[in-house]
Amino acid sequence: MSAVHGSQLYFNRRHERAPRIQPEVRRRLSTYVSSLSCVNHRLSSPASVCFMDFAVDLTGITKRFGAFTANDSINLTVRRGEIHAIIGENGAGKTTLMNILFGLLQPDAGSIAIGGKTMLIDSPAVAIAEGLGMVHQHFKLVPSLTVADNIFLGMEIRKNGLIDRAAQVERTRFLSEKFGLRVDPQERVAGLSVGIEQRIEILKVLARNARTIILDEPTAVLTPQESHDLFQTLRGFVDDGMTVIFISHHLEEVMAVSDTVTVLRDGRVVATKAKSALTKRELVRLMVGRDISFDRRPRTRNDGAVALNVTDLWARDDRWLPALKSVSLTVSSGEIVGIAGVAGNGQTELAEVLAGLRPASNGSVQLHGHDILDRTPAEIRNRGLAHVPGDRMVRGVDRDATLSANMLMGRQKKKPFARHGVIDWAAVHEAMRALIQRYDIRARGPKDPARSLSGGNIQKVVLAREFTAGGDVLLIDQPTRGVDIGAQEAIHDEIMRQRADGRAILLISTQLDELKALADRILVMFDGRIMGSVDGAEMDEDAIGLMMAGINPADMTEAT
Amino acid sequence: MTNRLLFRGLFSKGLARTLMGQALAFAIALALGAIIILLIDESPVAVFLTLMRGAFGDTEKIAGTLLQTTPILICGIAACIALRGGMFNVGIEGQLFLGGFAAAWVGFAFSLPPVLHVLAAMTLAVVAGALWVAIPAFFRVRFGTDEVVSTILANYIATLLTSYLTIFLFKRPGGWSETPPILPSAYLPELFSFSRLNIGLLIGLALAVGVAAFFRWTSAGYAVTMVGSAPKFAEYGGVNVRRVGFGVLLVSGAVGGLAGGVETLGVHHRFMEGFAPGFGFDGLIAALLANGSPIGTIFTALFFGALRAGSLLLEVDTTASREIITVIQALIILAVSADLMMRRRGDRTGERRWKF
Repeated sequence: MSAVHGSQLYFNRRHERAPRIQPEVRRRLSTYVSSLSCVNHRLSSPASVCFMDFAVDLTGITKRFGAFTANDSINLTVRRGEIHAIIGENGAGKTTLMNILFGLLQPDAGSIAIGGKTMLIDSPAVAIAEGLGMVHQHFKLVPSLTVADNIFLGMEIRKNGLIDRAAQVERTRFLSEKFGLRVDPQERVAGLSVGIEQRIEILKVLARNARTIILDEPTAVLTPQESHDLFQTLRGFVDDGMTVIFISHHLEEVMAVSDTVTVLRDGRVVATKAKSALTKRELVRLMVGRDISFDRRPRTRNDGAVALNVTDLWARDDRWLPALKSVSLTVSSGEIVGIAGVAGNGQTELAEVLAGLRPASNGSVQLHGHDILDRTPAEIRNRGLAHVPGDRMVRGVDRDATLSANMLMGRQKKKPFARHGVIDWAAVHEAMRALIQRYDIRARGPKDPARSLSGGNIQKVVLAREFTAGGDVLLIDQPTRGVDIGAQEAIHDEIMRQRADGRAILLISTQLDELKALADRILVMFDGRIMGSVDGAEMDEDAIGLMMAGINPADMTEAT
Repeated sequence: MTNRLLFRGLFSKGLARTLMGQALAFAIALALGAIIILLIDESPVAVFLTLMRGAFGDTEKIAGTLLQTTPILICGIAACIALRGGMFNVGIEGQLFLGGFAAAWVGFAFSLPPVLHVLAAMTLAVVAGALWVAIPAFFRVRFGTDEVVSTILANYIATLLTSYLTIFLFKRPGGWSETPPILPSAYLPELFSFSRLNIGLLIGLALAVGVAAFFRWTSAGYAVTMVGSAPKFAEYGGVNVRRVGFGVLLVSGAVGGLAGGVETLGVHHRFMEGFAPGFGFDGLIAALLANGSPIGTIFTALFFGALRAGSLLLEVDTTASREIITVIQALIILAVSADLMMRRRGDRTGERRWKF
């Protein structure tokens, strides 16, 4: 309440003309200011506010979609020269707010000021003219055009009425070097990696002279290395006096890169604080509204028989390069074996080979003593393997189909869902309704299309289907990727329940926290090999970190 | 901007949006058609009224429309089957020709008791269609050859092959390049005394209902639908995607062959060069317009049948040539397929991302 009051106070004063300050002074000032807690600053010394320079100031922004209030009188102040993270769970109103700021949506109430000027932003063109730039979550590039052509699409550099390609390439190269965003201006966009596509999107924004850059969930599609590079670039922008607004629901990266954090929950601002004044735990509590523990789950030891036995497994990836190199592992009933590693080190290929979706070039895989290597996915399923795929939108569901139809997959010929090849849809709907209840899936009913659900709820549908498929070996790839923290906890609970029921679980995750909470043993993969094994109870993060980078910790000890 | 968002909001609801999109496409096509009719100094209203009269003016005309609708409907069902399984069978025209020829051959070369004769001729027509599509289908699932290209090309071979067979091996004595007439024991029973309309229409309707029920209520139909809409998901769920792809094309080709058999045994009672021009393509378009729904195809096929039948009167009563219906048909196809493409691309990620 007091924070809101403070901002209103400020709002009244802002119309007083701020004295013009030299850019250099301004930069130093803003660095100084960003070291202070925003809230405290506003309350204790409102007088100094007039010296501050605000890139963006939103006051009382409210946006309703029918009966649903996406943004409820939101106040947001972003200082020039800071990285301001906006964090919240899916559906908290982050993207709506940014779309309002960028002129893609019109607020029902409230006002927007950019650089101290209150204005009506009724289209992105106005926002761009005011120095705002937005990098959307889904890129908007033309694959058949070159990098430079994409960057200058719609604002082509012309000479004698024709497009001056040479100048565009030159300008792209200049921007690319200036901001350390390496691209080849003359390369076609088709076939470039997502990381580079994102660089192009950022360059597009820079080419339009943006001084305040909004990034919507920028790391959702990036590998950890690419994310790291991105954060360095963003730091560089800020050092250059630009402002970055960064939307995310990833705690780690918000803690890693931002100066100030605004937390949204249910369309309201719950807090705006300096990052230095926040802990991860506190941030989670602000986001979710309750305490959530990422501690290791309590457990009793189960001494089950070996259920899954992989020996000397080799396989190739889509480019026909070796992806698995002599992988051997066992998983016993009642045990969770975690696979850690930076994405792209063979984990996906391992899951696919085990599920029968990718041929192996050598080795053996035994499920309860039966050889399942190079059997069809249907045969492997019937032997008792359930698989939660890493890419749930492509492999895990048909987004256009109903929840019931999604649940039916793999059991369309089995009783009680089908008799003599004829599906009993009433039974299917009934079973799905029960799963919606049991797994707390937020959907209106079994006939909802999967696309109408949030990512976390879609994941719950996949988990519900696979956990009830009758398999006693569970292959779970990235159980909580893109899932809200609240839902993450529920999913972890469910996985622990499956363990207690005596299932053998192979859990692949790129998030160490998750493995730490769940796994009995953790195997680390690097470059298609298992680098080593770590006990989950006494997890040595340093050792895992080294192995994830391809270094054997034993070698290190010998060297020193 | 606001308008566009409002527009999107209004039409984002699945079915309503599909129907609105198609209705809009139809309206645009008809408006463009009207402009072209104006260009040839004819009144669009008169042309459309003549078309309506030619298609639905009296019982005979309605029967004529239904006669034209029959092969389009059966070919449309053939296309629906392939589309549901994610395959594009553009070779229905060729399967229709081969099926037609096969049925005619059984009809004139053998002498069998009445019902058996029809069944034998139909069976061979079905087999001929299935065998003909088996070639591109094999290359599709074995080597990933684009079935659109291979089935289109197979059409030319099929039509020319039947011409060759008709002219050089089985030509009846006399002027026309056609086979000898089939025996009356192989005739499909006619429904009315005043028209050649035959039970082929009922076969088509039964097929539409049967195929719709297959996709709606059977395990196999579910598997095929999933392969069509989310192949990776189906593969993951244990469906043999290649086998389904092959099977779906085979059945689609078989139904295409059946359409040819119905046309030969029910209407022409012989095989002749160019005996059923364009029905295969019209069927494919009818299926696309209906968004792959067999029941919907009944109505789109009826629409195309009415255009064809109505155009006969068009040349008698107005100065417009019957080719004008080809133009209108083409415009509708353009408008509707543009709408389909937009929806396809727009829905992938929720954002529009252009693919080329």
